[in-house]
Amino acid sequence: MAGLELLSDQGYRVDGRRAGELRKIQARMGVFAQADGSAYIEQGNTKALAVVYGPHEIRGSRARALPDRALVNCQYSSATFSTGERKRRPHGDRKSCEMGLHLRQTFEAAILTQLHPRSQIDIYVQVLQADGGTYAACVNAATLAVLDAGIPMRDFVCACSAGFVDGTALADLSHVEEAAGGPQLALALLPASGQIALLEMDARLHEDHLEQVLEAAARASRDVHTVLDRVVRQHVQEASVLLGD
Amino acid sequence: MRETTLTSSTSTLVHTTLPSTYQKETLGGRTEGGRSEGKGRIFSPVIGSTVLSRTVEPLEYYRRFLKENCRPDGRELGEFRTTTVNVGSIGTADGSSLVKLGNTTVICGIKAEFGAPPTDAPDKGYVVPNVDLSPLCSWRFRSGPPGEEAQVASQFIADVIENSQIIQKEDLCISSGKLAWVLYCDLICLNHDGNILDACTFALLAALKNVQLPEVTINEETALAEVNLKKKSYLNIRTHPVATSFAVFDDTLLIVDPTEEEEHLATGTLTVVMDEEGKLCCLHKPGTHFPSVSVLNM
Repeated sequence: MAGLELLSDQGYRVDGRRAGELRKIQARMGVFAQADGSAYIEQGNTKALAVVYGPHEIRGSRARALPDRALVNCQYSSATFSTGERKRRPHGDRKSCEMGLHLRQTFEAAILTQLHPRSQIDIYVQVLQADGGTYAACVNAATLAVLDAGIPMRDFVCACSAGFVDGTALADLSHVEEAAGGPQLALALLPASGQIALLEMDARLHEDHLEQVLEAAARASRDVHTVLDRVVRQHVQEASVLLGD
Repeated sequence: MRETTLTSSTSTLVHTTLPSTYQKETLGGRTEGGRSEGKGRIFSPVIGSTVLSRTVEPLEYYRRFLKENCRPDGRELGEFRTTTVNVGSIGTADGSSLVKLGNTTVICGIKAEFGAPPTDAPDKGYVVPNVDLSPLCSWRFRSGPPGEEAQVASQFIADVIENSQIIQKEDLCISSGKLAWVLYCDLICLNHDGNILDACTFALLAALKNVQLPEVTINEETALAEVNLKKKSYLNIRTHPVATSFAVFDDTLLIVDPTEEEEHLATGTLTVVMDEEGKLCCLHKPGTHFPSVSVLNM
């Protein structure tokens, strides 16, 4: 380790947060008029944009159409200038494909696809600046965009990352904390029912600690839900004022 | 955007959307989707002439406005859309800018890296622009390798940089023949509502003005480059090229800053790049015919 103390004796992290504290979240819905639904989110320094098109007719081969459900197509793209080192390929590389797959699995669990058979829902996510927790920011942005598009979902999908340092679970990891090499957990939760849409963990973690880390991530996801809920209500209020209701 | 539903006597429901996508829909048949159910639908009678025209005969609809020397969104023929610029928002990039021309949104991020200067110009660095038009910004683009429009836009930006001499390439050289700065300029279109070239040029210029390069010294003994991150300096921007795009209607009428709908209906487009001294840097006129040079002189 480079001598960087991730958790000080007083319980402060590198950026001055407490162990279970989230970074500042700012989000806006309906940023683009062209798309059916769009949203922009900033979680600390991580900036992500999500755009939703659909439900619409299947593009490309009709054979891919599912007779009883909608097809969810997710694409993840990370700008070349989003990381410290310039990224060679913004999309099409393995990490982007993996992220796209994770997002698809997450949203297939949440969107009520039975209501739109034989159609396709496209979710495009673009990361403009990556400072840790990119998966979580993408999921949160995509949730807001899907809501903006008016596509029915079971519940919000709120995601957060968590780690484990010196016997304490940390919530919402930044890039510095991720790069330190400790265990990282990414959790996507449906808050009302407490059901998990996606759970992924990297590096080694003793099974005794898993519950603690999972609990920290779940609590953080519920906090994210509170913020996103407020954003949606504010957006609806602004829209209704403009419509003159 | 509005979604219009027409009911004909045989009661087939037709969903129509903006002209830029309507050739994908088949009129008179059952189509799924179109815009999502969440947005409000406006039921209008078949007789409603203005509503019918916009989606079924967009060119006639436009001609009616052009006759009065204005456009459907309320602009004059020579008026630009509201432009907003936001500089330096991306912390990980060496220089960044976000430009909104009406609804068209382009973000530019510049990363500076070390590279060897080209063998035929050992005392020059280089600038590598890249325009990314992804399915995120519009219906028309598919995912995968860059399509035609993206490649043309990238080449256009490269030409503007080269011709307008916006920065002196010699300024980017650190050690002749061995080390130079390479500026990778990545322009991502976030929302495509026409006039991409103007927005990209503007975003590039704003981002270049925002770039701060650290000081680099070559250590005589070890022949290695030492970067001093504490001392950063801005680039020396020599000229400020500005692009203006026109759409040509009916071979006679030129309108400035076309939206996507207008670009689609126009018979041709023309882009002119000029710097502040009034010198012409670049002229881009892809395809179609022009009746005479007098149109260009307008």
